[in-house]
Amino acid sequence: MAIASDINPYQGALKGDNAFAQITDNVSRIMEAPKPPRAWYIAMGFSLMLLAMFGASLGFVVWEGIGAWGHIHPVAWGFPIVNFVFWVGIGHAGTLISAILFLLRQNWRTAINRFAEAMTIFAVICAAIFPGVHIGRPWLPYWMTPIPNQMGMWPQFRSPLEWDIFAVGTYATVSILFWYMGMIPDFATFRDRSKTTVRRLVYGLLAMGWRGSSRQWHRYERAYLLLAALATPLVLSVHSVVSFDFATSQLPGWHTTIFPPYFVAGAIFGGFAMVVVLAVPSRQFFGLKRIITMRHLELMSKIILATGMLVGYAYGMEMFIAWYSGAIYEQFAFVNRAFGNYGWAYWTMIFCNVLAPQVFWSKKMRTNVWVIFFVGVLVNVGMWFERFVIICTSLARDFLPANWGYFVPSVVDYATLAGSFGLFFTLFLLFCRYIPMVAMAEMKAFIPEGHAHDH
Amino acid sequence: MKLFVFPRWANKTRLIAGAALGGAPIYLTAFVWYGFSPKTTDVGYQPKQPVPYSHELHVGELGIDCRYCHTTVDQAAFAAIPPTQTCMNCHTLVHPTSPKLLPVRESAATGQPVQWVKVHDLPDYAYFNHSAHVTRGVGCVSCHGRVDRMEVVYQQETLSMEWCLDCHRNPEPHLRPPSEVTNMNWTPPGDPIAYGAQLREQNNIHPPTDCSTCHR
Amino acid sequence: MSSMKPKSLQDPSTVSSGELKTPCDAADMPASAAADTSAAPSHWRSLAELDNDPEFREFVAREFKTPLEEMPLSSKGRRRFMQLMGASFALAGCRWKEDKLLPFSERPEGFVPGEPVFYATAMDIAGVATGLWAKSFDGRPIKIEGNPNSASSLGATNTYHQGSILGLYDPDRSQQVVRRAGQRTPSSWADFDRAAGELIAQARAAGGRGVAVLSEASSSPTLASLRSRFLQAMPQATWVAYEPSHSASAEQGIELAFGQRLRAVLAPERADVLVSLDADLLCPSTDGGLAYSRAIASRRDPSGSMSRIYAVESSITEIGSMADHRVALRASQIAAVVAYLDAELSAQARPPAALGAAQPRPDAKFLEDAGVKKVLDVIVKDLLAHRGSSLITVGSRQPAEVHAVVHRLNTLLGNVGKTIRYVEEADRISGGAADLAALVAEIEAGRVETLLILGGNPVYNAPVDVPFAAALGKVKNSIRLGLYEDETSRLCTWHVPQAHYLEAWGDARAFDGTVLIAQPTIAPLHGGRSAIELIAGLLGLPRTSGQDLVRATHDASDDKVWRRAVHDGTLGSAALAVEPVLRPIASMTLTEAALGSADGIDKLELVLELDPAVHDGRFANNGWLQEMSHPLTKISWGNALMIAPITAERLGLRDGFLATLTLEGRSVELPVAFTPGQAPGTLTVNLGYGRKVAGRVGGLVDEDVEVVGTDTYALFTAKAGAIAVGATVTPLNRRPDVLANTQDLYAIDDIGARGRDERLPQLLRETTLSDYQAHPEVIKHKVHHPPRLNLWHDPVSYDGHKWGMAIDLNKCTGCNACVIACAAENNTPVVGKHEVARGREMNWLRVERYFKGDREQADARQMPVLCMQCENAPCEQVCPVGATLHSSEGLNDMVYNRCIGTRYCSNNCPYKVRRFNYRNYNLDVYGTTPYTGTDDPRAKLRSMAFNPDVTVRGRGVMEKCTFCVQRIQNVKIKAKNARRPVEDGEIKTACEQACPTGAYVFGDLNDKKSRVAKAHGEPRAYELLQELNNRTRVQYLARISNPHPELATEDGHSERH
Repeated sequence: MAIASDINPYQGALKGDNAFAQITDNVSRIMEAPKPPRAWYIAMGFSLMLLAMFGASLGFVVWEGIGAWGHIHPVAWGFPIVNFVFWVGIGHAGTLISAILFLLRQNWRTAINRFAEAMTIFAVICAAIFPGVHIGRPWLPYWMTPIPNQMGMWPQFRSPLEWDIFAVGTYATVSILFWYMGMIPDFATFRDRSKTTVRRLVYGLLAMGWRGSSRQWHRYERAYLLLAALATPLVLSVHSVVSFDFATSQLPGWHTTIFPPYFVAGAIFGGFAMVVVLAVPSRQFFGLKRIITMRHLELMSKIILATGMLVGYAYGMEMFIAWYSGAIYEQFAFVNRAFGNYGWAYWTMIFCNVLAPQVFWSKKMRTNVWVIFFVGVLVNVGMWFERFVIICTSLARDFLPANWGYFVPSVVDYATLAGSFGLFFTLFLLFCRYIPMVAMAEMKAFIPEGHAHDH
Repeated sequence: MKLFVFPRWANKTRLIAGAALGGAPIYLTAFVWYGFSPKTTDVGYQPKQPVPYSHELHVGELGIDCRYCHTTVDQAAFAAIPPTQTCMNCHTLVHPTSPKLLPVRESAATGQPVQWVKVHDLPDYAYFNHSAHVTRGVGCVSCHGRVDRMEVVYQQETLSMEWCLDCHRNPEPHLRPPSEVTNMNWTPPGDPIAYGAQLREQNNIHPPTDCSTCHR
Repeated sequence: MSSMKPKSLQDPSTVSSGELKTPCDAADMPASAAADTSAAPSHWRSLAELDNDPEFREFVAREFKTPLEEMPLSSKGRRRFMQLMGASFALAGCRWKEDKLLPFSERPEGFVPGEPVFYATAMDIAGVATGLWAKSFDGRPIKIEGNPNSASSLGATNTYHQGSILGLYDPDRSQQVVRRAGQRTPSSWADFDRAAGELIAQARAAGGRGVAVLSEASSSPTLASLRSRFLQAMPQATWVAYEPSHSASAEQGIELAFGQRLRAVLAPERADVLVSLDADLLCPSTDGGLAYSRAIASRRDPSGSMSRIYAVESSITEIGSMADHRVALRASQIAAVVAYLDAELSAQARPPAALGAAQPRPDAKFLEDAGVKKVLDVIVKDLLAHRGSSLITVGSRQPAEVHAVVHRLNTLLGNVGKTIRYVEEADRISGGAADLAALVAEIEAGRVETLLILGGNPVYNAPVDVPFAAALGKVKNSIRLGLYEDETSRLCTWHVPQAHYLEAWGDARAFDGTVLIAQPTIAPLHGGRSAIELIAGLLGLPRTSGQDLVRATHDASDDKVWRRAVHDGTLGSAALAVEPVLRPIASMTLTEAALGSADGIDKLELVLELDPAVHDGRFANNGWLQEMSHPLTKISWGNALMIAPITAERLGLRDGFLATLTLEGRSVELPVAFTPGQAPGTLTVNLGYGRKVAGRVGGLVDEDVEVVGTDTYALFTAKAGAIAVGATVTPLNRRPDVLANTQDLYAIDDIGARGRDERLPQLLRETTLSDYQAHPEVIKHKVHHPPRLNLWHDPVSYDGHKWGMAIDLNKCTGCNACVIACAAENNTPVVGKHEVARGREMNWLRVERYFKGDREQADARQMPVLCMQCENAPCEQVCPVGATLHSSEGLNDMVYNRCIGTRYCSNNCPYKVRRFNYRNYNLDVYGTTPYTGTDDPRAKLRSMAFNPDVTVRGRGVMEKCTFCVQRIQNVKIKAKNARRPVEDGEIKTACEQACPTGAYVFGDLNDKKSRVAKAHGEPRAYELLQELNNRTRVQYLARISNPHPELATEDGHSERH
């Protein structure tokens, strides 16, 4: 456990013989408290408001037709797809942290992996909504699934959209299994600690009769390992496939071989930023400072810095290849992207994604909660704009100048964007209140007391 | 109070739950596929007609050729429903006073059409052309069934897209000499497939399966 | 003229389907049957007689008796609900509603239900007549084609003709006789006949004193003869014609030159050198425009002997966009140009003294411009070099003397009898502002008691200095025959509905004097009468049926002759040429505007033009035409102030912003459209917009339907006419609420402009004739790219047919006929001003307009773009449900009923030719959808205009050009039934059939002898964006100009590498 021990955030964080108890208390308290903190209510109220707006605007879109969105002739994909790609991206960090870091024995992950996974699942839910409603006839998306029918028609497997369905579907399934799997022992803890019958029953069902016998532990760890191994390639595959939606097309600005790695890096980047944005307040409000320590935040800041540089490299490389290609349409697409009538979006993206994270070079900055939180927010904004720049500015000015246009979002566009955040936060707040936010069992196995004999 | 843990018998439920979960999608798919397919929804559709006109009598017993009434079947997309005047050709003499024929006589008198109910009704986005099939030697019976045995006409085939494609991909079994299209009792001499192939060669029949063949 | 007809056009079998019918079929078919057998709107294809639901029958019954106002409009909400439910039912596979089959009681002889029949007819727009074919489905005309047998069409049509189908089914057309005594009271023909009968009886007694007739211009011989009978019966009555577009100067010019009333008929196909002076031979309001288009285009093929076209004009006309040399001069300077040409030509040609003295050489300021002078001198040289094979034409709005001098020039160049011939002017009804002014004077003097107004809309389009509306109020009895109850009808005591030209018998006279016979293709939908029927009725003639009247005019007593005439749509032959003697022409007095400064900034010139979409406003309620974008400004749903950028900037105007245009104290507000190529100091503005009583499309103020565009008749004076000098423009610092521009939707920034200029030479390829002959490969070399390798093998082998198209950029003039023809053929919806402004227009075929040159001297380039039917179609690979797939004949099939609307195909289409139904436009526009029927009679009437051969698309579905696959299928089936091959040219796409110049060629690429295969073989054929390896089936033929050697500035080589 060489790597593990030297970055173990709990050296000194949790002292005394009752360290295990402390962890359990710390985490269970949230569920057992008669009332969540006021902040929770405020946040919940706000999220529910946005959620209501989401439902209303989507209902309007289905009723009125997608003309309600701001799409224009050349720009046939607008906010919905931007949001879709954005949320899928967010949905990356979770599985990355749980699976890859697990396989790499990066045990410090245990404090954050639980709600990183939760975040993943909620993000994927948000993402999954958009492709369905953005199509012209929202009552027909099932035609994209291979169901036998009397038309003798199959979906077309050459289409990247078809690949998306399978990629995202698989990813969602595995993430949920992985998430749930990990929670079983903790549900058992909750079950054992709960006082009311209802909770006993519910948590009891969720715990699936976990007794913590060594046989169960043995199976559990084996299964967890397998799932992790299964999930790891998906982290890379999902966003690669999503990037194919663009990379396989002929459109200058989309037609780029760098997209798969570039999208994955971006997704991890954005995902970690979102984890930070969620971790900072929740450790504050739910008193988990000793479990999600500054060390965790610092490590994540480093990852954000690293992936931010990757993304920056991708931006530069796109530009270079465009120039190097010698294709006038390609060259124009990128010059126009930076200096054309969408330049403001491009430079917002550059600032948030490339410049902002640079502050993390200094230790002072990456150990300052406020800076970390603020940069996290910026990065999320930047990642959203990245998708906007790729999708909208490329479409707005393609090959024939006669049908160039300028995309202006409608009210509904903004409402659905904000609304999707409403859905996300609502789910997340429910999660904080009723589901073990930290993988207690895993942590106990990891804190110094967990393996006294190592010393 | 006791903790909630699963009693031993709960182990059995796993099997059942597993089976149910596994089977559900298959069942649903099958249900939608078959339950909503034209086989169950359209075939056998036999609406009540304003005039109790019997194809069995006119075609089967009297042996009137289809084209006596449906004159445009070999020259146009639509096999025209005969104008009242066609009925009256005979029925001024035959059963001139039959109450069953009242609507027909009324129509002849007033010039208002008899309101027949459509049996073989394709979706409006599917363009079918009778002449294209009849002149190539696809028999009426292939799609309309043994009309000569129908007291009241009903839909015999599904008329679903898959059904159309089956024949367009493999027309041989349904081909006959163009002279025989209206013959309800025609049977191919010898091996139907071989004979069909021969006819296909003769009349150079290449049934297209392009989208625009039917959808425009 | 027959030499102008390409072979394929003379043979009727070139019609896509159906065959010509003699009128007996129409006659035999009872009117009711004609209406009843049309497809019920709740079904999206004609199941012919089979598919005619009872509600529709009773609707027809109601429809044609009671006015629409009394019909309850069905609730939108309900329709929406039904639409969603309908959709879900349909996909659940439940059975849709029971359909009824309604056969004829007696079927007309030789009538095949559901098969289209073509009837010959003719349309007369402001005296400009064209022979047409009306394609009729079960007695329901749905499409207009040109009549190949008529010299006035040669098979081509213009936008007005194509749009007229929608006009026929316009629910806003007047539906009943209306009496206005104080307030509006619905009345009946019976009452009217009684009332009118009494009036006429009194008038006859008084020898017609106090009776006046005001009619629109008409070429109808029958109406002309009725006029003389009318005046015989009432000698003291007056008959006046008014047409805002009318210009007396053309007629007066000929009289000045030859001393007799003649008509000039041109043969531009014989002209090696064509000089167009502020004239547009090709524009749809030019008499013979279609014929001239075909003729001129026939000389623009670089492989043949190519003509050279010089255009001196104020703003870019259709012929100007085709010209080899274009000089932008103000319309008022043309007089000086003509004088200069006369002076130079006479000096060098030495005409006989009999022709009189030449014009003195004017010292006009613009001659100081070396560039302009050089071109004019070259023109002189070129004309002299081509005596007898040259032609000078001048715009009808130019003054009479100018016309006279031009006739002189053509005479002394020996062109008379070769490229221009003069024929006796037949008896036509025409008149302009002066005539209207005279009538108003009569009324003011109280000498008019009874005024009969035939068509037109003088209250709306009278010159502002002729107070017609006020005068009309003073007339005791005013009777208006009109298609709409419009501005004029509202001020008349009687309004009687006019029959649409497709509803009535009629005749007309083509530009070359041939007579055209028009037969009705459907019974009058609203019981209207034609002008001839009305007049005949008033005169109390024994036989007042349209057919009798027309037949009597042409005394075709012989049935065979008559039936032949009606069948062909033509009667008699072209008028015979006369040899007039030219008289000396006095020297012109050139105005100071003619000689004035080059930039004309001090005295701005305002040119008022008919609108290419709505004409003089008569088509204002036609959605197709309103949505058609202007060839130069690309603005639809409104007019704009066209002005040269340099002038505009000096006046402080901004593109797309509003400005106040003032002339003689009267002013209007218009959006400014920077128009390169416009003469400095010239403001061009279109008439015909700003109607307040047009209808629910074109504006109806009392029902809060927004007025479309600006009414510029406020600046139209009888004194100044079409060209007014001394206008002022002041910028307003705000934009119009909506500017429905279909191209350059926003002010294009420098980066965009640079990108555009960089790629244009590759997209729209052109070079000079000399360069092309020297290096035929120059066109293909405009783009260099690595060898094109396919990712996979061709999905299909393309044995059998292999459809392809060629578009000749040398011939396209951007007239938009193809655009409207496409909309009519393919049921593409109208989306309305606000959706167009968001770039959501649905035209499958668009004409892209680019300007070439700098801000001072620019030319326009027109380039039609439709689905390229790529062999490696980018759209096909990305559709997740396979809604667009490749056909075995290489068509890019689009299956609307399979499309779920991911719009990925559109994103991946480099040509952006796919159009998406963002809203339920058919519900919005027609009030009905593919999913549901409707109870709204307006909607039902409108949906009668649908082509039953094409699925009507609903909301959320992608659509695009399919090479008119329905036409391909119909012809193929016919041919296969007859066991014969499909002949080249037998299948015509809608755009190809409509195109006046024959720029489109469609056919089978596997047939090596086909026209399209030959075209693709030409060295100037190129694929748009060939480097993408889409392998398009549409290829463009590069634009090859034929500049005069002395003026050939830019050489193709420079562009080449």
